[in-house]
Amino acid sequence: MAAAKEILLRRPVAATIRLTVPAGGARPATPVGPALGQYRLNLMAFCKDFNARTQKYKPDTPMAVTITAFKDNSFEFTVKSPSVSWYVKKAAGVDKGSTRPGHLTVTTLSVRHVYEIAKVKQTDPFCQYMPLESICKSIIGTANSMGIKIVQDLE
Amino acid sequence: MLARNFIKHFPCRNLSRHHILRDRVRPLIFFTSSTPQSSISISASLSSSSSSSSSSSSPSCFTDESFAAPYLSVRIHCPKHVVDPFSDALLCFGASSVAVDEDIEEEDDEDAASGSSHASKEICIESIFPVHEEVKTCISQAANSIGLKEIPKFKVEMGDEQDWITKNQDLFQPVEIAERLWIVPEWSSPPVPEAVNIILNPGFAFGTGEHPTTRLCLLLLQSLIKGGEAFLDYGTGSGILAIAALKFGAASSVGVDIDPLAIKSTSHNAALNNIPLEKLELHLAPSENSSSGRETPLQKEQFDVVIASILLNPVMELADHIVSFGKPGATIGISGILSEQLPIVKERYSTFLENISTATIGDWVCMSGTKKGEFIDN
Repeated sequence: MAAAKEILLRRPVAATIRLTVPAGGARPATPVGPALGQYRLNLMAFCKDFNARTQKYKPDTPMAVTITAFKDNSFEFTVKSPSVSWYVKKAAGVDKGSTRPGHLTVTTLSVRHVYEIAKVKQTDPFCQYMPLESICKSIIGTANSMGIKIVQDLE
Repeated sequence: MLARNFIKHFPCRNLSRHHILRDRVRPLIFFTSSTPQSSISISASLSSSSSSSSSSSSPSCFTDESFAAPYLSVRIHCPKHVVDPFSDALLCFGASSVAVDEDIEEEDDEDAASGSSHASKEICIESIFPVHEEVKTCISQAANSIGLKEIPKFKVEMGDEQDWITKNQDLFQPVEIAERLWIVPEWSSPPVPEAVNIILNPGFAFGTGEHPTTRLCLLLLQSLIKGGEAFLDYGTGSGILAIAALKFGAASSVGVDIDPLAIKSTSHNAALNNIPLEKLELHLAPSENSSSGRETPLQKEQFDVVIASILLNPVMELADHIVSFGKPGATIGISGILSEQLPIVKERYSTFLENISTATIGDWVCMSGTKKGEFIDN
């Protein structure tokens, strides 16, 4: 995607589409179908491409996809792994965060969880050059804002 | 025009493997904004297929012709400077997708009351929601979460899958894969009648022939099939490879897929190409969650050519299984993988195959090799 800027200058952009698709599970039905079909993009090509590129994620992980549709019906897309808060909730096994973060702690996570999440996040196109430590700090921050404490080891 | 109309309704078996992303059950009350335009009559019947039609990847929308999956298409007028955070917020609060048109300078359906000075500062977002989502709540929550003082104006319409399917059918044109080999959609006539023409109506199953993965397999088949071979298409999709093999002269083709839709699509396409039933056998393979065990009623070591054009994970997991169907000396072809994924696939299959060669189109790779004569069965 390094040449994205070049491409945007060369080809006129029709629209930017954002949606959530389960990793390895793109199919030409809702939501992919109508969203891309509206701009007459090749659904099969997107599904195959997306599925092949998300093979390394756990199946059905909701991936955030941003598609740039060009006027000539071609397209480019980038895939981001789910938000940190999604991972934190999944790792902690809770559905939602605390109603009073800072005052009420819902559950705890260990430093190891943070590390694992950071490793996945580092493969995101936007985080690739961030040092792991910064990513970890940001994850801890997010967890705290959800009322989830990070401890050294889970008992 | 829709040849699919004659495909009969049948119960879709493998629904359990599709995880329903949104578990919330909402009553069937609708929106406070404009009334939906089309077919409200299907809303009553939605309650049974509702959970499946609001999941992101359900094949049942194709099987039930009268219940094609509806969705809500919402146009939201949002201030330009908050488009990005607002789109993200919408996705968090329940929208399936959010699209922003890039080059709209002015609002075309802006109310006269707001005046033209507002029009240039607003941008239109097209959003798609599952049919049971409470659109107004979602939009107001999204607006609150980014600090917008007022709820943006929005308009809701009921959309249907069939709309964009029919609209986009003309995207599928006759494609020349190789010299004298064409893939022709059901609704066109072959541009070169004397060439080998494969007529297709892919429906929701993969395999129109244009994608590099399918193309690579077709070229491989063309070079391999001399006449009289037994061919296995593992992951048959629309059946394009199975049918192509027969057209090239194979004695028989077997197609296997985990998706019942693919089986339907393949039988339909076989009929379009006048393939007799005894030449093309189809099997529905069990998917991971089904309890009926892994074995398909196919004999091992039965095929001269086996092609599996799927994805990296199934191809790695099922390596033993796929290769076991080939006779010793048979050619096994693997496609649907990216060039960066090739090394691990090659490593996995090198225990079974020799003379491994690869062909590449763009980022996609097709790997083929011949099955070793003797090897230790794991």
